[in-house]
Amino acid sequence: MADAAAFESPVVRNYPASEGGNLTLTDASATTKWLVRAGVEGPTADRLGARFGSSQMAPGGALVLGSRPGEWIIVGTPGEVAAAVADLAGLSEQEFMTALDWTHSRAMFRVTGADAARMLEKVCGIDWSDHMTPDGAVLSASVALTTCDLARNDVNGTPSYLIFCDRSFGQYLFDALIDAGNEFGLTVTASSAF
Amino acid sequence: MTMSRQGVQPNEVIDRSTKLRFRWNGKRFSGFEGDTIASALAASGEQIFSRSMKYHRPRGILTADFWDPNLMVQVGDDPNVRAGHRRLESGMDVRAQNAWPSLNRDLKAANSLLGRFLTAGFYYKTFMRPQWLWPTYERVLATFAPGGKIDLDTPHAYHDKRYTHPDVVVAGAGPAGIEAALAASSEGASVLLVEHEHAVGGHLRYSSDAGDQAALTDLRAALDASDVEVLTDSTVTGRYEDNWLGIVQRNHPIAVERLIKARAKTLVAAPGLIERPYVFEGNDRPGVITSGAARRLINLWGVKPGERAVVFSANADGDAAVADLERVGTEIAAVIDGRTGGSVSLTAGSSRAVEAVMVNGTNGAERIDADLLVVAAGWTAPTSLLNMAGDRPIYDPAAARFFPSDPPSNVLATGGLAGDADLDGLRQHGAATGRLAAARAAAVRHRLQSRTARALPVDGDEPAWAPDERAPLGRDPHPELYRADTHGMVDMSEDISSKDLVAAAHEGYDSVELAKRYTTATMGPSQGKLETVNTVAAIAEARGETISEVGTTVWRPPYAPLTLGALAGRMFEPVRVSSIQPWHEANNVSIIQAGQWLRPDHYGDPAAEVRNVRENVGLIDVTPLGKLDLRGTDVPKLLSLLYVNKWMKLGVGRVRYGMMCAEDGVVLDDGVTGRLGEDHYMMSTTSSGAGGVWEWVENWLQTERPDWQVHVTPVTTAYASINVAGPKSRELMSRVCEGVDLDAEAFPYMTVREATVAGVEGCFMWRIGFTGELSFELHVPAGHGLHVWEALMDAGSDLGVGPFGLEGQRIMRLEKGHFIVGQDTDGLTLGPSTGLGSLIKLDKDDFAGKPELAWAADRSLPMVVAIQPDNPDVVPEEAAQIVRGDTNEILGRITSSRYSPTLNRSICLGQVEPDLAAGGTKLTVLLESGERIGATVIDHHAHFDPAGERLRG
Repeated sequence: MADAAAFESPVVRNYPASEGGNLTLTDASATTKWLVRAGVEGPTADRLGARFGSSQMAPGGALVLGSRPGEWIIVGTPGEVAAAVADLAGLSEQEFMTALDWTHSRAMFRVTGADAARMLEKVCGIDWSDHMTPDGAVLSASVALTTCDLARNDVNGTPSYLIFCDRSFGQYLFDALIDAGNEFGLTVTASSAF
Repeated sequence: MTMSRQGVQPNEVIDRSTKLRFRWNGKRFSGFEGDTIASALAASGEQIFSRSMKYHRPRGILTADFWDPNLMVQVGDDPNVRAGHRRLESGMDVRAQNAWPSLNRDLKAANSLLGRFLTAGFYYKTFMRPQWLWPTYERVLATFAPGGKIDLDTPHAYHDKRYTHPDVVVAGAGPAGIEAALAASSEGASVLLVEHEHAVGGHLRYSSDAGDQAALTDLRAALDASDVEVLTDSTVTGRYEDNWLGIVQRNHPIAVERLIKARAKTLVAAPGLIERPYVFEGNDRPGVITSGAARRLINLWGVKPGERAVVFSANADGDAAVADLERVGTEIAAVIDGRTGGSVSLTAGSSRAVEAVMVNGTNGAERIDADLLVVAAGWTAPTSLLNMAGDRPIYDPAAARFFPSDPPSNVLATGGLAGDADLDGLRQHGAATGRLAAARAAAVRHRLQSRTARALPVDGDEPAWAPDERAPLGRDPHPELYRADTHGMVDMSEDISSKDLVAAAHEGYDSVELAKRYTTATMGPSQGKLETVNTVAAIAEARGETISEVGTTVWRPPYAPLTLGALAGRMFEPVRVSSIQPWHEANNVSIIQAGQWLRPDHYGDPAAEVRNVRENVGLIDVTPLGKLDLRGTDVPKLLSLLYVNKWMKLGVGRVRYGMMCAEDGVVLDDGVTGRLGEDHYMMSTTSSGAGGVWEWVENWLQTERPDWQVHVTPVTTAYASINVAGPKSRELMSRVCEGVDLDAEAFPYMTVREATVAGVEGCFMWRIGFTGELSFELHVPAGHGLHVWEALMDAGSDLGVGPFGLEGQRIMRLEKGHFIVGQDTDGLTLGPSTGLGSLIKLDKDDFAGKPELAWAADRSLPMVVAIQPDNPDVVPEEAAQIVRGDTNEILGRITSSRYSPTLNRSICLGQVEPDLAAGGTKLTVLLESGERIGATVIDHHAHFDPAGERLRG
């Protein structure tokens, strides 16, 4: 039998390495992602904490995104996500709740930089101003005609956005984001998990 | 008229140290950085820039700006370029349009001899009959079509798009617009200031007044120090519901054009005023220009417009033009004051230049020799954005222009559009407007934040809607000067004269909207900016009514014409690929696009792929197969509701085929669903139906059965799906699988098992297949799909494993007689027509489509049947008609057809009338060529292995 295979990203093209751009784009598709569904208000919602449209860190370090009413995406390292999911144990006896591994279902990219919002303005019709989409905001929108979940997750005070799309669109969307970011000096950084 | 470059002007925008060389009609010219194409040509002494649309009359500069109807040129492969606006670039190849063989010797000018016959409506009246001649008319008329030439080989330019949500958009960066933007910004609003011209400043730019220039300097400095985002050479092209604005940006560094879609909380319309031409005989003769054109030529580009001028002035701008002309040495032959009753009757001269002007001035009627006539006859208020917001501006005869009436409260007008004042007054009104816009935007922002889950929380109640407490601008009196005592051109873009409009009114086109369409006045590239009010005035005069009584046409988007490329923006064409795509691309794949999916069609020889599957083992990437993860205790009830068959007793590890019908009983989709665990199921759908079925399922759950405990998650691409098919598939699977007994009895047909495949945990596989062969449909976590595919290829090399594509699968499924929803069925195909009527369980309590299917059960319906042509070498086209004998009576159609490499004959599925569905029935198929061939219905759908022995293997 073969050894367990490494995770294959949906982004398979090679991009020339560059440095010094004001904007970075990272393929973080290998990040562990789980999808949790339960009642809008109930023990699961209380446990996860993040209300619809917002995000917060779970005690174990995973990031919990309130992606839709009664729906959460948990992202992080395998250990962080496992801890967050384990924390939900027993809740299914109190309410109808399901959780499934979404790692392979969704591509995940991170765009970081002062011009990140200006770049997203080129591919997405959302209001990216700080008051409408502050750090921690979570939303769903069309990005370059692809249905996506997005989360603002600033890095050391620099605007940063996580973008999730159906895995099959991953390569297309990655290229579309590069095209949108070129005018801002976009740099594609090495793939990494969240 | 002899134009020429003069010495340095105080406020000129050209850089005389940077010379630009270009070509005009093949000859070499030069200009300076900052020139427009027109100013560079004028500075070089050119007088004729174009030929008119209909009569091919020579045309010169009229307004020397974006709206100039006489300055449309071809630049390289770019047609209809506005030479009055487009900045000169080094190496430009500029050519005249609408002239043949040359601008100076245009043979189509012969049209002017027919002028009396080419009146309004000529086209409609002349080319109506006889109808059969229309193709000839069309070919001939096409040679007279105006405009430049399109090169179909021109590469698609990069157009960009941007969305933005500023608090305030200010359309127009004249002094009032700039003040509005600054004031709104200082109140904390995010502001986008959009200027049509290449620089901010409006009319101050071409003013030689020292006070105006000082003010402009101050305003520019204030803008630079502010947070206002300024877009120059950009136009707010349209205002739509709720201040959704289209803005086209023409000077973006990386794109030919960028279309900006802005959602403004408040819009400030500050477009200024557009100088209106005057109608009189010879008003389109080169040498007749507006006062604004004279001042722009002199002050922006240092171009002297003529040697000896008559100035017809009815306002201060005309007076200022006199001063500017004198400064550059133009002799002022006469100033005719329109405020005191003076007028211009006609110009005389050649078709190419003014030589004299007939005037009625203080000396009475007289002829004055001159090569230049400068006209300052009044203003048009470009109320377009207000019109688009629903306002119906009102005409004020005392001021001789239209003013806003009652625009919505999130649209505010300022500057010349709103009224008259001195510069300080305009600036104050602009600033007050900006503060009001910011206050109202703040209320909208508060509302939006409070209603948006992701937004920052807001404190307190929504601010009250700020009242409009601005001191209104005044209205300077202005004489109503539209037409002199002679007739002339009203619309120079379309060659429509005041005589044409009078004739149209007399023919009964007395509504301005009808007259506009009948004559095409205001419908040219200037889009009515120069012509609308003169058109209304001509009709009013013909009807003996006032302009107010006639009313005006409604300005619709776009404010200024824009390219289709700008509207299209960036070409987003999302495509989907499976995780195995890199392998396909490296292995001679021929790709077919199926919806958004790029799928392997074949790898060179689909027939060979079929034979390999029948004899050995093949792999196909079926990742696009729709997959829905269903969890919850009520999943069986959901399945029973949505499928026509029964689901309450499906055991764990079992798989069942289901057909889904809509409420009208028409086949919606089909697929298999497996039970993976006690409350965990996986539903598969057709590839094309994946999205639709998900919506269908959610629709039922959310609207009809919200109480059911079911969670549905689309996982189509969470798994790479591989069908391993062929008599050696079990052997191949045994080499890569762990944790599952592959024996036929332990893992029989129509069951599902979880397994570890090639070291990848969490795979599940179904003993099903579309090909009719022993098959294992593998679903592998997508992030390991390529690895598993390659492992299968490696493990099966001695078994003859090879890939097969969609075409091979389609052949094999047709051999097996599996129908495809949407190909072998259509929007009228009821469930029983598929031949699977026994699947429909009308004894169930309820399910989608049950009433219609119950009705259908008692009726004869068209049926899907398998058909074999009598000549095995003839493959009827898909959609070929099945007819009765030698007639054209349609009895059905071929829905699928292929040549079977397994059976060495042509095979088909088709839909036929019910009385033709029995096995052995002889049919006639009408081919596209017109040939009729015989064919026979066979007993069952399967052309191959009807007993299913191979797939059950």
